[in-house]
Amino acid sequence: MSAVARSVRPFASRVLSQKLPLAAACRVSPAAGFPRGSVRSFSQSPFMELKKYTESHEWIELAADGKTAKIGITEYAAHSLGDVVFVELPAEDLEVQAGEPVGAVESVKSASDVNSPVSGKVIQGNAILEDKAKFINESPEGDAWIAEIEVTDAAELDSLLDAETYKENYAKE
Amino acid sequence: MRPLRRGLCLLSSLRTPTWSAAALRPLFVRYNSSFSSDQFAQLANRESSQHQIYQSLSTDPYVNLSIEHFLLENAPPDSSILFLYINRPCVVIGRNQNPWHETNLLALQNDREPNTQGKSDNGALLVRRRSGGGAVYHDEGNLNYSVISPRTTFTRDKHAEMIVRALHRVGATNTSVNDRHDIVMSTGQPQPRKISGSAFKLTRHRALHHGTCLLDTPNINRLGSFLRSPARDYIKAKGVESVRSPVANVSSVFVDAMMPFSIERVMASIVEEFAQMYKVDADAVRRAQRAHALEPELYAGDTWVAGAVGEHQGYGEPEIKKGIDELTSLEWKYTQTPQFTFSTYPIEDDPRERPPLLSTLPHATRVFLRLKHGAIIESHISTSGDVSVASEQAARVHEALNGRKLHEITPAQWHKILLDRLGADVEDKTLLELAKFIGSKLGWDTSL
Repeated sequence: MSAVARSVRPFASRVLSQKLPLAAACRVSPAAGFPRGSVRSFSQSPFMELKKYTESHEWIELAADGKTAKIGITEYAAHSLGDVVFVELPAEDLEVQAGEPVGAVESVKSASDVNSPVSGKVIQGNAILEDKAKFINESPEGDAWIAEIEVTDAAELDSLLDAETYKENYAKE
Repeated sequence: MRPLRRGLCLLSSLRTPTWSAAALRPLFVRYNSSFSSDQFAQLANRESSQHQIYQSLSTDPYVNLSIEHFLLENAPPDSSILFLYINRPCVVIGRNQNPWHETNLLALQNDREPNTQGKSDNGALLVRRRSGGGAVYHDEGNLNYSVISPRTTFTRDKHAEMIVRALHRVGATNTSVNDRHDIVMSTGQPQPRKISGSAFKLTRHRALHHGTCLLDTPNINRLGSFLRSPARDYIKAKGVESVRSPVANVSSVFVDAMMPFSIERVMASIVEEFAQMYKVDADAVRRAQRAHALEPELYAGDTWVAGAVGEHQGYGEPEIKKGIDELTSLEWKYTQTPQFTFSTYPIEDDPRERPPLLSTLPHATRVFLRLKHGAIIESHISTSGDVSVASEQAARVHEALNGRKLHEITPAQWHKILLDRLGADVEDKTLLELAKFIGSKLGWDTSL
């Protein structure tokens, strides 16, 4: 497991470096060490690859810094849960393991846990949702994210579902 | 994440042969043994326990909700479970509700004051459940049903429909599921009466649907008094507000019937419908139907568990005990409350007109509290009509209130705080009245 993690660890930063000015790319990762060929092959994977999904209908999107990520529920989940009336936001500095609750939403008398797709530490809950829980139904994969976390190991994202696999297998009516 | 998914694959690959083996085996070899109730957790977690039917011997709502939660978290991911229980008198609020706003705390047992010698009355308990929804009243005439099933095949109506079929079977044919997933009874009056309320808890793989069913409560006419807060005019709460509905007992249908109404018959009928819905082994149904209050015994076959559980299992299994401790804690009951304000005058967040203040209080008296996680984060308490004096009073009081948990401040403490902070310029008699006013609105007995 740790060997796998080590070999895939630079994945995120390599993808990122494609989107950043050269100087920034050099700062973000010791890019000099990468073989040219692999950089070119990665240039084909779209930036959206950094957004991953879980079978329990959460999404996680790694920020450009490769260290923080936003977590929310998917369009499919928001639709199937119905009108969200309350969002329980996580406390700052809460440490979560992958699969542990990082919040909860209530809709139509149903309390549903929102599980963190990866391990990390909570930076903040999305304060917009305190006043406007229903925003989750309007923009579940956009500005209505639920938690922002500091990711323990960005490589953990690699084992999650990509958009296509998620939509194909888990987001069908 | 990865190990978890691998684990699940392993479970399903293990289970498939078990299933087919069970299907191939001739019926007569099926064994059907009795187990000691100590083995509850083990049997509930057993991979092959696909169907589980339990009745509770306990009337403690904290125990019953925690056994239920244990089953939600621990039973095999594709099992289907029916759990029936009856609670002693209590008011159960939804996970994201406000006890000061949704209940009449004064009508409930006072759990906020430690060591209230001689005052430990037998009043109804306050309970915050883990599922969503609104506040309900329970007592010995209310049957609770709980169905835990895989999330993938779950719908919000399927188990309410199951209960309706069970009620029709015993003769209550005027019941149906409404658009709030509740069960109502048409009684000839213009508005149908609610007899059952539903709430749900969804986890990664599982769905829990539990509901009340007012079969024969003696308190049917005063149930609203437990759910009417003295602070309704003052509190504006985030989170979930209850929807008020007129209620009735299912037993009211049978008033003129030849056959007497019995809760046991309804329970048997629910077991029957559950068994049909999930194709439960006939042995399991037979055992479940025989689980009587005096037999704390469990039975299990290859694919099922049935029998009675109760306090012994609740306190004996560490994980259930943990659940009980959480539900009974004042942190869970009170500080889990979403943000709210309490104000005796219109404010931006809550511009409603307010009722006039008591004539015993100075006309200009203002009480405003803003709470987060049940603790005071902002306040304005003053008696002066002069704006600058008032804000100076409020600042002094807030120093003492800031960060205090609302449920921990007794009327005596309110009085002490006000006396400390405002005693120099306000009469003690006024401050005592003010402390009593605040205390009574927050559900304290201030007659002493």
